[in-house]
Amino acid sequence: MRISILVLLALIGAAPAVAQSPTAGSWQAAMQRLRRAPLLGPARARSIIVESEPNDTIATADSVGFGDRAVGVIDPLRDVDNWFVDLTAGQLFSVDVDAAVDGSLLDATLVLVAPDGRTVLAFNDDFDGFDSRISFRVFASGRYYVKVSSFGRSQGSPQSTYAINFGAVTCSGAGTEREPNDAPGTATPIAIGDSGTGEICPVVERPTGDVDYWGFTAQAGIMVDLQVDASASLVADPTVRLFAGDGTLLVFNDNFLGAGSRLQFSIPVTGTYYVAVADAAGFADPFPYTLHVRDIAPGPGDPITVRARDLSVPLGLAVGNTGDLFVAELTGSRIVRITPDGAKTTFATGIPNPLSLAFDASGQLLVTSVDGAVYRVTPQGQAARFITDAIFPIWVAVGPDGRIWVTDLGDRSLRRYSATGQFETRFDGIILGGFGPGPLAIGPSGDPYVSVGSEIWRLRNGQFERVVRDQLVIWAFAFDVAGNIYVPAPTGGSIKLFDSTGAVLADPFALGPDAPQAVAFGRDRTGAMLPRLFATDPQIGQVFEVNPAAVLHPGLPGYVTPPFSARAAADGLLGAGGLTDADLQYLDAVGNHNGRYDVGDLRAYLRVLQGSNR
Amino acid sequence: MTRAIWILAMAALFVSVACSDQPTNAGSERTLTLRLTTPHPDDGALTFQLSGPVIDSVSAANGSLQLFTRRVDGATIVGAVVGPLADGAIVTLHVPDVGAAAGYTATVLEVADRADAVRASLAGYALNVIR
Repeated sequence: MRISILVLLALIGAAPAVAQSPTAGSWQAAMQRLRRAPLLGPARARSIIVESEPNDTIATADSVGFGDRAVGVIDPLRDVDNWFVDLTAGQLFSVDVDAAVDGSLLDATLVLVAPDGRTVLAFNDDFDGFDSRISFRVFASGRYYVKVSSFGRSQGSPQSTYAINFGAVTCSGAGTEREPNDAPGTATPIAIGDSGTGEICPVVERPTGDVDYWGFTAQAGIMVDLQVDASASLVADPTVRLFAGDGTLLVFNDNFLGAGSRLQFSIPVTGTYYVAVADAAGFADPFPYTLHVRDIAPGPGDPITVRARDLSVPLGLAVGNTGDLFVAELTGSRIVRITPDGAKTTFATGIPNPLSLAFDASGQLLVTSVDGAVYRVTPQGQAARFITDAIFPIWVAVGPDGRIWVTDLGDRSLRRYSATGQFETRFDGIILGGFGPGPLAIGPSGDPYVSVGSEIWRLRNGQFERVVRDQLVIWAFAFDVAGNIYVPAPTGGSIKLFDSTGAVLADPFALGPDAPQAVAFGRDRTGAMLPRLFATDPQIGQVFEVNPAAVLHPGLPGYVTPPFSARAAADGLLGAGGLTDADLQYLDAVGNHNGRYDVGDLRAYLRVLQGSNR
Repeated sequence: MTRAIWILAMAALFVSVACSDQPTNAGSERTLTLRLTTPHPDDGALTFQLSGPVIDSVSAANGSLQLFTRRVDGATIVGAVVGPLADGAIVTLHVPDVGAAAGYTATVLEVADRADAVRASLAGYALNVIR
């Protein structure tokens, strides 16, 4: 589970350091702020090593020594550089990449592998800005391996250069914390609704143990939620304490779920409060962490009901035409089917790190994968690569005309495909700012909407227009039939509700058990949409439902498989009638979109049906 | 031939025909071919109209093509052929009189390329019924 969270963070690191400064208004702003923070440095390097290709595997890894500095380049696309270093038991080892900070195009990721060459000990994507770091105390002597690649293995060019330092970290303050902050008097300020990042320094640096204090002001009567997420390190075990302004300890938590810590507290008096983050053991290894400070007043969608547990980082969510929920287990690399009565079964396997889900025009399930493909899964659960020309497809949705929309983090675009998977066109998402386009949904008009961070934009007639602007990062939202938008804001630990113009209807609409990430409306056993809203909460492995009494309308139906056969489609073309105007519009939309139903549309529709085995 | 033998012979013939792969056509000598002439190498589908003497049934000329037809009246059939089209046979006609091939008239109504786009012009297209 811990590994799972790491991978999720890698992806949310798509969500780029997302969480780290939501009130800054955009992920880019968060990045800039992080980059201004002082950087940690390793011990002085003894020598500089230059990578020697090929070094794409453990077997061909380049050799470095403790204290070395090395340089390399991730080129070509999907390149992975492997390094090995011999370490001794008890040694505190830190490996730190400098790339983006020096102007490289590389958004690096790091993986530390055990001497067996297989076991992943630690993973990191964005530690300081886009650059990565892992700190780890070695349990056993041996040869350890470090893998450097681009995020999602989506980059690679002569400009993707990096330097990498192998040694011991000196802790000088990273992220948004301001050292020294070891006492309430020097606490780093943080606002409710914001997130802060820091590092618990190694005992070699602070023999008495490092404690980071954060200070915030709160109004009497609110319920604050304090969550410390240190899942980017396998060795992390943070604790969290809340103190009153006079130093009185109010509440403490260690290991709320796994090794993470979280507590909730009703503020009795308006004033200043302090949060202390420390290591549970008080002398263990350094680790980075993120502190979330939230106001968790319940919304109309509370209380929530957990519908499924013990999932391996459930991210994407879709609802089938018999009411079953389909969940993408990010680290389980499988699709799980959950019946309305809560029974879980494996629907499909063989899809590496599935992200998002959507049913296509043929009733098959589309799945975006970290491996760069959109997979298609038959109703029998057989998965095959389907769309392969995107670089890093993160989210997928299907329009009412059956067309497939994909957001590609690789080139930051929104891509459109025919119902049968033929690429049609792309729309540049870089112009939108933020860090998207990311999560994607189809609105009532059939237009695609994308999240670019803390905003949702609509593509209408080939032009983007902003619909929602919020303070928090927005993940995978969903529309009801009235156009209202249910928006998960994981850094806020909540789901918000906006109307079709972007005005807030409820904030929060509901509180997640932790950090809700994707929402989807339910269906009954006939496929009819229901006023029931489900959500995934990846960090705690749950799927939950908000209070149905507060859900205003049924969900937007999205694509519905047309109820006619190839014979009926052909008869309609050959003058026998039998098709409605809506059918004809659909057939044209599946095909060539020229405003009438023609033989090209029939040709396209036959492919749709072949895909569905009808 | 006695009446009984005649009945047995007819029954045998019926069984023979019923078990054949081409139930409406007893032999190749009773088929005609609808042949396409196209100016493009990437046709993906077309619709056509075929008029003339009696046609018992039609079938696609090869397994890579899908054929849909509708009988408009006793003398006219409209159809759609979908698949990788090229110069040559696209439809097989099963007819009672192959000698009447010259009596058929076939017209291309609409063509789509293999990207599903409809051809703006049908210039250069032709359909002919041949033996």
